[in-house]
Amino acid sequence: MGKNVLLFRILYAGLALSVLADVIFRFFAHSAQEHAAFLLQEIPGFSAFYGFIACILIIFVSKWLGQRFLQRDEDYYDYWGCVSGYARAEGGEKA
Amino acid sequence: MSEWIHPGLIFILGALLIPLFESIGRKIRNVYMIALPVIALIDLLFMSYGEYWRVPFLNYELIFGRVDALSMVFAYVFVIASLCMTIYALHVSESGHHIAAFLYVGATLGVVFAGDLITLYIFWEVMAFSSLALIWYRGTKRAHEAGFRYILWHLFGGMFLLAGIILHIMSFPGQEGIAFDAFAWGLGSSFIPSYLILLGFILNAAVPPLHAWLSDAYPEATVAGAVFLTAFTTKSAIYVLLRGFSGVEILIWLGAIMAIYGIIFAVLENDIRRLLAYSLISQGGYMVAGVGMGVLGTKVGETAVNGAIAHAFCCVLYMALLFMAAGAVLEVTGKSKLTELGGLYRFMPRTFWLYMIGAFSISGFPLFSGFVSKTMVVEAAAHGHEIVWLLLECAAIGTFLVVGLKLPYFTFFSGVQCEEAREPPKNMLFAMGIVAFLCVFIGIFPQFLYGMLPYAVHYEPYAPGHVISTCEMLIFTFVAFWMLRDNLRPEQKITLDTDWLFRLAGRKFIWFCEQPLITFAEIIDGALRKIADFFAWLANNPAVASRMLVALTGAIVFKPFHPLNEKYERDLNELKRVYSDEAVHRMGIGTGVLLVLIFFTLYLFIYLSYGVLWR
Repeated sequence: MGKNVLLFRILYAGLALSVLADVIFRFFAHSAQEHAAFLLQEIPGFSAFYGFIACILIIFVSKWLGQRFLQRDEDYYDYWGCVSGYARAEGGEKA
Repeated sequence: MSEWIHPGLIFILGALLIPLFESIGRKIRNVYMIALPVIALIDLLFMSYGEYWRVPFLNYELIFGRVDALSMVFAYVFVIASLCMTIYALHVSESGHHIAAFLYVGATLGVVFAGDLITLYIFWEVMAFSSLALIWYRGTKRAHEAGFRYILWHLFGGMFLLAGIILHIMSFPGQEGIAFDAFAWGLGSSFIPSYLILLGFILNAAVPPLHAWLSDAYPEATVAGAVFLTAFTTKSAIYVLLRGFSGVEILIWLGAIMAIYGIIFAVLENDIRRLLAYSLISQGGYMVAGVGMGVLGTKVGETAVNGAIAHAFCCVLYMALLFMAAGAVLEVTGKSKLTELGGLYRFMPRTFWLYMIGAFSISGFPLFSGFVSKTMVVEAAAHGHEIVWLLLECAAIGTFLVVGLKLPYFTFFSGVQCEEAREPPKNMLFAMGIVAFLCVFIGIFPQFLYGMLPYAVHYEPYAPGHVISTCEMLIFTFVAFWMLRDNLRPEQKITLDTDWLFRLAGRKFIWFCEQPLITFAEIIDGALRKIADFFAWLANNPAVASRMLVALTGAIVFKPFHPLNEKYERDLNELKRVYSDEAVHRMGIGTGVLLVLIFFTLYLFIYLSYGVLWR
């Protein structure tokens, strides 16, 4: 368990450091670099925000799509709409 | 000709000698198989730019060797990848498997160096068929069926390509007709050849909705075969797109949608190799978008083209690594479903870390190969395509989520705890080691890759801003994953994809043939047979039969008038008795011939008299 606690401390440190570095970089070291191409890239911490939100969005949207429309039982294609004797025989063997 | 040999030829001719070396001994065969890609690699080093291997064909001149910066980058990565993959596949005993793999690599190199459309088409089809063998060698029923669907898709795409090429040849006379350069693009019926060729190309690039062959067939291929498959078909399609359709705007959107599409399906997927296949589609999205943004002559366009090429280069390597590691899990445990896997880290730590190098590369962690290539395309999108930029970044996050977190977490740690496993054979680990080294090497020294690209690179991947924002994004993705990891738990389900339509259509078509069509045919058939039977009955004895018909009609017509009816019924019964008793009259052949002659004479008479009298 102790190892996990350590890992999480490192994670929290990483979170804080990366955002801090971003903020500092955007405000102080900005001129040294070529400027960002458009507005969103200028906001400090935007990447952190986007990474977090987009990840949650991806999980929920795909799970919703899956449950609502896309996911089926594994033998779906073996049974589904079987009309030919070939497919029926295969299904029968399986059952 | 020239001082170098076509590297595709080395593979194709070399493949044919594998059974010979097999008969001498397994070790000698293995040495020989490693030697082939090495020879091809040395061959590539000695090649110089230009057009070689011109062969007259009909009224045209086929160009088998067009060597320039673009074809060289792809040739290098294909040959390097084939070397690593061959090492990975060394333990496979079937020679046929190796022959198919080498033919596949050789045909891909043929596509890469093809300087005209006819050569391109020939190698294109060889590629489709040789890769089919890598699927069928798995030997399972599912692989067999998936292979059939795979080849049908590719023949379908090949038909588009062929139709496009023929129309292209018809609209441009002479050698210009088969020239394989940038195709004319615009709106209107005169661009139909370009549209058809583009359809053929994007089918191989696995652009939705024409992608289902990939996620359907690749996971059903053999362990080593799937590794070969990941690299060549899709990346050679990116090459031909770069050659022919650079800067075509619709590709930007197709690419962005493709990147997200692959991720959504990968989140839902349970089979590890199918999950990787979907992320392969997603990665292809970056390259397709890069091709779309590659308007030549502009700085952003050149960055996009460079990015697409660099990303294809890196993607071949890390995708091979990921498929190698997933294949190793399948090889050792015999399982490939996340719901059946778990806790493998205890048994396969090396495989895990090698996998993670691939996963960090595909996710674009700094110091890994994806970081130096993917960000080029994303950077190009930031200049003028903000929504595409957001979509591509979202896909990058999703890639890390599924390939970097979901798959390893549920395979190597959480889930059903596998009781027994071990590290894969040494040759597999060694091959993975080489690819992993290359992934890290390119990540740390991107200038080697950038030096090969056709345009000068004005892009600095390790600018502090990039590094910071990438790290930030990926760490926060991890946080979101950790919070929602139970929502991501794999389910024992399959996901419907666009091939559902084709499977539906196929089954409905068979149903249509079996049920309505056959019934209809039987009705027509029965009716005609009844008519024929009637004539046969009539012809038996026309005199009696006609009287019977009269009697029958009479019996029916006079039914209300009792006495008459009785008379006809009596007649009918009498006739029936006579008709069945009566011997059948048959005329001799002589009578028949005589009748024919009479008819001919009559015909001749009418014909001649018509000619003479009424003329």
